[in-house]
Amino acid sequence: MAEFTASVFQNEFLSDGATDVHAIVTVTVSGAGQAGQGQGMAAGEIIIVDTSGSMTGENLGAAKHAASVAIDQILDGTWFAVISGTDTAARAFPYPNARLPMVQMEPGARAAAKQAVAALQPSGGTAMGTWLTLARELFQATPQATQRHAILLTDGKNEHESAQALSQAIYNATGVFQCDARGVGSRWQVDELRQIATALLGTVDLIAKPADMAADFESIIKQSMGRGVASAELRVWAPQGAEVLFVRQVAPTVEDLTTRKTMVNPLTGSYPTGSWGDESRDYHVAVRVASKPVGSEQLAARVQLTVRDEVVSSGLVKARWSNDDALTARIDPAVAHYTGQTELASAIQDGLAAKAAGDAATATVKLGRAVQLAAETGNDEATAKLRKVVEIDDANEGTVRLRRDVAKLDEMALDTASTKTTRVRK
Amino acid sequence: MSDAHIGGAAVPPVEPVPGSEVAPTVEAAPAETPAASSVPVLCPACGTVNDPDAKYCEECGTQLGDLVEVSTAPEAGETEAVAEQNEATSSTSTPRRACVYCGGSIADDGYCELCGKPAQSERDHWQEAPAAWVGGVCDRGIRHEINEDAMALAADPQPGEFAVLVVCDGVSSTPGSDKASLAAARAATAHLAAGRETDVADGHGDELAQARWSDRMLEAGERSSAAIYEAIGELAARTNPPSCTFAAAVIDGPLVVVGGVGDSRVYWIADSGKSRQLTTDDSWSQEMMAHGMSRQQAESAPQAHSITRWLGADSPDEVPHVVPTYPTGAGWILVCSDGLWNYCSDADDLAELVHRVVGLVGSNPVQVASSLVDWANEQGGQDNITAVLARFDSVVPTPAQPA
Repeated sequence: MAEFTASVFQNEFLSDGATDVHAIVTVTVSGAGQAGQGQGMAAGEIIIVDTSGSMTGENLGAAKHAASVAIDQILDGTWFAVISGTDTAARAFPYPNARLPMVQMEPGARAAAKQAVAALQPSGGTAMGTWLTLARELFQATPQATQRHAILLTDGKNEHESAQALSQAIYNATGVFQCDARGVGSRWQVDELRQIATALLGTVDLIAKPADMAADFESIIKQSMGRGVASAELRVWAPQGAEVLFVRQVAPTVEDLTTRKTMVNPLTGSYPTGSWGDESRDYHVAVRVASKPVGSEQLAARVQLTVRDEVVSSGLVKARWSNDDALTARIDPAVAHYTGQTELASAIQDGLAAKAAGDAATATVKLGRAVQLAAETGNDEATAKLRKVVEIDDANEGTVRLRRDVAKLDEMALDTASTKTTRVRK
Repeated sequence: MSDAHIGGAAVPPVEPVPGSEVAPTVEAAPAETPAASSVPVLCPACGTVNDPDAKYCEECGTQLGDLVEVSTAPEAGETEAVAEQNEATSSTSTPRRACVYCGGSIADDGYCELCGKPAQSERDHWQEAPAAWVGGVCDRGIRHEINEDAMALAADPQPGEFAVLVVCDGVSSTPGSDKASLAAARAATAHLAAGRETDVADGHGDELAQARWSDRMLEAGERSSAAIYEAIGELAARTNPPSCTFAAAVIDGPLVVVGGVGDSRVYWIADSGKSRQLTTDDSWSQEMMAHGMSRQQAESAPQAHSITRWLGADSPDEVPHVVPTYPTGAGWILVCSDGLWNYCSDADDLAELVHRVVGLVGSNPVQVASSLVDWANEQGGQDNITAVLARFDSVVPTPAQPA
């Protein structure tokens, strides 16, 4: 049985008149088991491969190999399908003439699926919205698969449909399945894949070399198959009259959940977190409560993880008003760390956007701040990636110069990694 | 009659009232607090007295039936006991407690599901009844977030024989004063109750007993002071260290010895005839009255509650004023904090209030104390409220009058 724990890190002491309570809640799951193994549960997995004309050659060869490796990782019993994506979407497996929208994995199906993948031919353009729509339709036609995940691979921009059409397809797919998005090479758009992955509770990443694709696919499917806890929700209760300022996932990546809220009751908001394996995620919760007299105490938030409406773990965020400066002035190290990491993510994204728009002054300031924050929070990976985009004169002061002739891949690597956070140093 | 010096000799004998509702000895009440089903239910939110079987408060609608009756005193400084208490008292089948602040229900985590405030702890409200004729209630009131009042009681089962009543009122705005007051009250009661073995042995209420109890009352002040130091630890080094008032009464046969530091009070509430305050406040208003200001004027001034003496690390003078007295006739010894008397300072007015309450709820001291606390909350509950009562019937002729 899966075990859940929640730990709260905060300074509960507020000075007289203060109203804002910040806390980091770490939720940890262990013993999650495998996807689709629970009572009445089955997993569904769809592999979406870009087969547009631009994939011709090394990319498609590597993609076919990666898809085969992924198929090997899908557990027997899992409902699965392969989608071939161009400016339209086609089901590559089960074969287009098959009666069932998806089939359950077993050795025969595995071999047949690999054959289907090997036969994929490149042609046409890129319209990812149509791919997501077909995936949604296949999942919805397979209600037995209750825990649904897809992996989407592309090498290019979404050129053959409007941005609106993509947004609409993403919106329709939200809540139906989770999706990890991967871009190979340097011609795809980070923000397009980020939009997909963010809405569909997945990750976005860059695969710089086609040869790395198979290992990446393998680990994604392994991780997906290792998520034995399906569709958990984060619930945040705040007292009557209080305002939840924001709810953010801050580790392993920064994701603002605030706008994904649905109200369970007048005081409790629910935020989808997708499925969980054996892992730990940190959430930054900020609540504004009415100030109370010095000496009083109140609960500012209950932060709970629920699975099928059952609370499996709960953390209490408290507020205590004090006139002791020694108690109230301290900022909790976890709150400070993740506040910095969140700012780091937006400084990188804003800096790269400014650079792309030709605004070198803003780009220098933002990326300088990013360098400073990465140093302060000990995010060495971010520092290494920043170093490829800027010359660092003084990391502590955040003084940098933009490098000339930066490789596009290095910028994309910095962008995709911007939301990855480091844990608090204990 | 001067408030500054009160002796038993000055109290006129009370004529027994034929047909008085109050019997000369306390009615044979059970030793324990009466079962909840037979006593009026107090609404924790608004203080209204409801019928014994009421499920919701008639006045404010707060759910009543599922409240945990707290009859034991809390541990010193206990605030986190709520969760444990909740665990201990709640099971899946037990209805949830109501939040005293908003009427919401208290979740298993010990906080209200609506307003998020912590469930009222035992430190916020409790009652004690060491004997059927002695009882008290200590309550947080409405406006204060913490109950810095405390009480500690001891009594023999035999009505009128022997009892110790101590009330300490922690000085507000000084963190840790709730710990200081509880430690002080308990230390004083322990010391005074220990004197029962040695000091009573020579006979009740004579001059020797007066002297002994007076000495012991002074020692009780010292013990309280020492207990405060022990309870508050390094808080003693603060600029405003935790501190509290002290009001104590020892009942030894016909003799009553009272002691006081600060503005908590001991009253003699006569069933009929003259009632009076037995302690003298160490307060700004008392000083002003000594200089001729009227009680009403002095006690309504903004500085009225500034006390001039207290127990605690920064106290200029901790020695209790000690007054032995021999109340005559039937009545009550009432020890209370300013959370009660601030709404009814004059002894005769307070007596009228007590008589009215006794007429409503009978003469069970815990019930009377509880109703007095409710009444003070109805007046606004601006401060913590403590009321402790002992039923007193001076059936034994006074052996000697103090000089």
